[in-house]
This record gives sequence, C-alpha cells and structure tokens, in this order.
Amino acid sequence: MKDILRAALVIVIVSAILLFVNAKLNEGEGRASKDSITVYNWGEYIDPDLLKQFENETGIKVTYETFDSNEGMMGKIEQGGTAYDISMPSEYTIEMMQEADLLLPLDYSQIPNIKNIDPYFLDLPFDPDNKYSLPYFWGTVGIAYNPSLLKGQTFESWDDLWDPSLKQQVILVDSARETIGMGLNSLGYSLNSTNMDELREATDKLKALSPNVKAVIGDEVTQLMINGESAVSLTWSGQAADMMFENENIDYIVPAEGSNLWFDNMVIPRTSKNIEGAHAFINFMLDAEVAAQNADYVGYSTPNLAALDLMDPEVTEDERFYPDEEARDHLEVYRNLGLEMLGHYNELFLEFKMDMK
Amino acid sequence: MGKLSKLPKIYLIAVFIILYAPIFYLIFYSFNSGGGMSNFESFTLEHYAAVFEDTRLIVILLNTIIVALLSALVSTAIGVLGALSIVFMRNKAMRKAVLSLNNILIVSPDVIIGASFLILFTMIGVKLGFASVLISHIAFSIPIVVIMVLPKLQEMSPTLIDAALDLGASKRDVLTRVIIPFIKPGILAGFFLALTYSLDDFAVTFFVTGNGFSTLSVEIYSMARAGITLTINALSGLIFFVTVVLVLGYYFISRKTKTPLSGVKK
Repeated sequence: MKDILRAALVIVIVSAILLFVNAKLNEGEGRASKDSITVYNWGEYIDPDLLKQFENETGIKVTYETFDSNEGMMGKIEQGGTAYDISMPSEYTIEMMQEADLLLPLDYSQIPNIKNIDPYFLDLPFDPDNKYSLPYFWGTVGIAYNPSLLKGQTFESWDDLWDPSLKQQVILVDSARETIGMGLNSLGYSLNSTNMDELREATDKLKALSPNVKAVIGDEVTQLMINGESAVSLTWSGQAADMMFENENIDYIVPAEGSNLWFDNMVIPRTSKNIEGAHAFINFMLDAEVAAQNADYVGYSTPNLAALDLMDPEVTEDERFYPDEEARDHLEVYRNLGLEMLGHYNELFLEFKMDMK
Repeated sequence: MGKLSKLPKIYLIAVFIILYAPIFYLIFYSFNSGGGMSNFESFTLEHYAAVFEDTRLIVILLNTIIVALLSALVSTAIGVLGALSIVFMRNKAMRKAVLSLNNILIVSPDVIIGASFLILFTMIGVKLGFASVLISHIAFSIPIVVIMVLPKLQEMSPTLIDAALDLGASKRDVLTRVIIPFIKPGILAGFFLALTYSLDDFAVTFFVTGNGFSTLSVEIYSMARAGITLTINALSGLIFFVTVVLVLGYYFISRKTKTPLSGVKK
C-alpha cells in the first residue's frame, strides 16, 4: 500500500513539474500579450516560420490549432467553446457554414492585398462577391499514374480508367462526391448533378469499373503510389504533388471532360473575438512574398498571382498544377447539394462499393 | 521461464519481429535526409533538431504526457474503488447491472463518447481545454481499470479476509494490508492501460480540446491532408527510446529489491 501511495505522489510531482515547464514555454512564446488570434487550420498546412513573422510584424500572438476534417472543424465552431478567429474550410463547407450563420462578413478596407489574387478565383458560386471568404489554396481532382508500372496506357479521358488492361490496378478515393463525380464527368454530366437518372447512369458505369478497382481508400494512397505498390489512382492534385515529389516516375493529369476544382479558403468564424487581428492575418497571408513562401512549403497551388512571379518558374509553369484558362473552363466547383442529396450520393457510392468483387 | 523447445522459440521470435519491425522502420526513416518514408538518401539528425526547435510541438507533447499521467492516476484510484464496491455488493442483480453499465462504456464508440462530452461541457459551461480533456480521459479510463482489477479480486479467497479479521485486523487493515497488496498486479496493469489509452486517444480528445490546448494524436491526425512530416518520426523515436529506458530502469530496480510476492508487509 505504501509503495502505491509513493508512486502516486511521484506522478503528481512529475506532472506538476511538467505543468510548470509548459507554462514557462508558453510564456516564452509570449502568450501573455493581450492581442492574440486563434487560427484553426488543417495540419501541416502553413509554414510555421510565417506565423512567427506575423507575430513579429504585427505584435499579434497566434494560437494555432489543427483539425483533420471539415465536419469536425465545423462542429467545433458551432459549439463555440473556443474563440477561433480564422479557419480554413473547403468550399462546400463555407456554404454550409454560411447557412448555419457561422461566418462574419469580411471588411475589404482592411484587406488591401486582395489585389494580388487572380480574379479567376474570386466571386465563385459558393461565395458570391467573396462576402465571407478568400482563397488560400486550390487544386483539382485527376488521375495520378506511374508509367513505369504500366504498359504504355495513357489517360487523356476518364474512360481510359475503364480499359480492360488495367485489371486490379486502379485505386479510388473513399469519398462519395469524388468517385460519383468522376462517373458523372465521364458521361459528360455536371458533377453537381441532382438528376436521379444521371446519378443512376453514373453509378452503373462505375460498377462496370469494379474489375479494375484494386481498393477504395483514403490518404494511404499517397504512400502506396510512392512505394510503387499501385499504378493508377484517382486523387487530389495536392496529394499528387506529394507523390511526385517522392517518386519521379509518377505523373498527374486532369482528364479533358472536366473535373473538380477545389478550394480551401480563409474565413472569419462568428466565434472571433479579435476581428481586426483576423483581418490583419488574412491580409498578411495574401502578401505576395508570404504566399509564395507558403506555397513553396505546402506544395499546393496558390491563387495569388503576385506570388507566382516570385516562385520557381518550373513549378508555376507546370500545366498539371497550374492549368491554363482553357483547361480550367472544364472544371467545376462542388456545390452544397443539401443533406438529402448528399444522402443519395452516399447510398449510390455504398451500392458501388458493395458491388465490387 | 522453463526450457523452450525449438518451435515455440521460433514462434516467439517471429511474433516479436512482427511487433517491433514497424517501430524500427519508422525510427530508421527519422534519420533520412530525404523528405519522406520511401527512399533513404543519407543520414541526418535534422529532424531531431526540428523537434527541439519546435516549441509548439514540445508543448503539445508535454500536454499529452501530463494528461496521460494524471488521468491514469485518478482513474486508477476511482476504478479500484469501483471494482471493490462491485465485488462486495450483496445484491446480485444490482452487481450485474453495474457491471453491465461499466462494460457498455468500454464497447461504445469513441466518437459518441466524445460528442456527448462536448454537449455536456457546453451545457454546464466547462471551458474547453486542459480541464475538459483531463475530465473526459479520466472518465473513459475508469471502466478499463475496473475490468483489470475485478479478476484479481474475484480470484482472492474470502477466507483470506476472514483469517485477517480473526487475527484482529480492523476493516481498514484488511483493505490496506490484505486486499490492496493482493490485487496490486491488477492495479498496475489498469494504470498502464489507462496511460496508453489516454496517450493515443484521438476521437474523444478532438471533440473536447479547445483554446489552444492540443495533444499529439490530434496534431498527427490533422496532418493527414498535407502528409505527416519526418519530425513526427523523430518524435516517435524519442518517445520509444524514453519508454525503453523507463522499462529497463523499472526492471533493474525491481530486481534489486526482490520482494516476496505473497505475505503481509509491515
């Protein structure tokens, strides 16, 4: 009994010491200053040096928290337990957050750097006139493939995935919108289709793909492609960039029929207690040099025109990640289709997955 | 350990290789100067330097350790008392009911537990952060401790208690000098299980963190979008190293002070 009590005492003392160290570390970070903002972002989605730079330039302390899914982030903001000042939701989530009245309108007199953003990425259907959000990173959905593992197949169109020679070679992403969307695109329909006949047709076409499908998985696909364990995958451009960085054989293409154009945007949630600081942060992130440094670090495509001039031309002239105007015309942004429609998408996706042999 | 014939030995070695290979694979790449876990370029210690430079990561690591230690400690205390009261309940139906309630908590999904905690904290106005994470970790660890301690209690012969009472022990003596020493292995097992439970919990923690408080698992999960950095490998390597040192230290201390496993200690 005595030794148990002694062990308990030791644990309490150790915890107390650790708490003290932690408090000291936090002080060293200057958390004591009144002026601070809380940023809520995807993990590894910003160059940490930029946060320090922002603190030095403005004197505003940044508390940085991370999330792993749009839905989780939205739940936390709805709950309101933390005063988040900035968040980076994907475009369809912005529509949902707007409907739930979770966003504050932006004050453009405090964001002069908006001039740096490519007008093509402004005033999009999910947020007309950019009342609530400004783009942070963007990208596409396409096909990543490794020619060294293939017998010369190419991927100009979605239909190439149905090629019988690709038996058990294709990895799909475990997400209803991306996969059903690909089916819709391959038939020439809109990937925001709410027409049940079109959706049925797309699902049936996907079922015909099942002999070629090796697996339907999430983020693990990046590692599988890098290790050469799979040859073809439906994936986001950001993940494709990661794959190509690690494995030079891999190539990425956005099929000609069209595909999805995705955005992660900066918004100011209604929970914000430092609205001025939040605007300062958005303006800082839109600065040309900052955006260029951040794009270098994260490796995704930046919507910042002024930043492109400062970046490595080899990156910015890469058609795969910065497609030209003409190629962009075929791209569509996801719209929020409402819960009921999302339910249909999920059901059809499930039906497709259950049909796989 | 007695003598092992060949086949069990080989089997044992194979099991250990399977268990440890992923850990060593991960640590191996933490020395990679390349960016990822596929092709090893050259040896470097930069990722280890990055761990120590990243104050935020250190704070998160300390948060994780503090929450794990304290929650394991409190939940062990409460869990042992819970197990005792379950065993000494007179009413059989009542005992069954309490035990079932305990087991339901073990099998219910983390997401549901996390979401209900979030609703609860919001309702009673607990500020999200260290306190909310600690409380929820204590809560989900208790059932585990109960399950670990119960078998030990059930295997204890009631005559042991009768004998102690006959020899003039007070109720308190029975608890501190007979029962607790007897179930000590169960208590330790419960404590360490609660510790690991707390260390790697993501779902519950994600719901109840806030205000800048974060733990390692939340941090690592949220890297899914842009890929996990080798800094995390380096950190895992360090944690593994510390764990090995602690286990070895414990082993040597317990060898020095060889205590008889039975008998009453003064």
